[in-house]
Amino acid sequence: MNGGTEMTETIDRRRLLTSAVVGSAALAGATALGSLAPEAAFAAGDQAVEPGAPDPNFAEGRITGISAGMLFVTGSDLALWRIRITGGTSIWKLRPTTFDQVTVGDGLYARGLRLPDGTLAADSVWVNIVNVHAHIAAIGRNVLHLDHKGKRIVGHLVPGTSAARYNNTPAVADMSLLRVGKHVQVIGAWVPDTNEVEIATVYAAA
Amino acid sequence: MAALTGTMSWFCCGNSWGPCGTAGHGACGTCNSGSYQHAWPNASAACFNITRPDTCGVSMTRRGCGFRHYTTNRCNGKRIGTTIADCGPQTDLWCGERACCGSVCGTNRIVDLTPAAYSQIASLSSGLQPCSVDTV
Repeated sequence: MNGGTEMTETIDRRRLLTSAVVGSAALAGATALGSLAPEAAFAAGDQAVEPGAPDPNFAEGRITGISAGMLFVTGSDLALWRIRITGGTSIWKLRPTTFDQVTVGDGLYARGLRLPDGTLAADSVWVNIVNVHAHIAAIGRNVLHLDHKGKRIVGHLVPGTSAARYNNTPAVADMSLLRVGKHVQVIGAWVPDTNEVEIATVYAAA
Repeated sequence: MAALTGTMSWFCCGNSWGPCGTAGHGACGTCNSGSYQHAWPNASAACFNITRPDTCGVSMTRRGCGFRHYTTNRCNGKRIGTTIADCGPQTDLWCGERACCGSVCGTNRIVDLTPAAYSQIASLSSGLQPCSVDTV
């Protein structure tokens, strides 16, 4: 999936992008270098944070404002975040996507580098991403009704995007092996302020 | 102890949004998505009776809240140190399940990391990855 040499080059590029942001002038430079694949978008290097401790380079919360490449986010613990998006930031929202698809009200997780001004220069942002372990309560046309900790979640299958993985099979569009009553893991994008998610990948036992 | 190999995923805990909003702070009462923490299937006898990794043939030492593990993403060699903050994953629901990247595979779910920890060594959108877990 993530090969050695290619990954090294990707991480080197990411570090260059982050350095560019820290250095100043450099949002344009970062943009010129282009975006990075979400699968490759995570930090490298030695662990600077003690096990068990909060990571200052990681943010979560809901977007309250968007302005000039900046996301204003209120954390679920009420911390206030300013997350800087650059051309080098990878953004996931059901699928790899672009900044213009991000909206006020979305939830997110973001990883990047805290700058001296308090902003988080984002390497990667996962918008509305959820990882739900549930049982299938019912199956409809392009929809899975899921029982999740005693509550119902409506999972929408998105043609062309949603995929299933049965044990170790490659991801396939065929959902026909899913069965009512079976447990599944769903990676998807929450539809804000609803009990609905759009499904990216559903993991199921064959 | 030799490293335990299997697969890893991630889970949310603590204050959160969406379906995670009701997650709570986990079995240890300390779990937060933004901290370097993990769930362990044998965090207590009660936990073990739910997760039952032994039914998948996985022998797993009992370790309690706050114990430190190091998880390596076997797809890229990245490693993260985290402490136990919850019970999970429910290994017995997924006996025999494999996750691979190329020729590197892991079988059976042995650890769930918080989003902060998982995203340090893999993309959250990847969902499931082969891993190894060690104590040093």
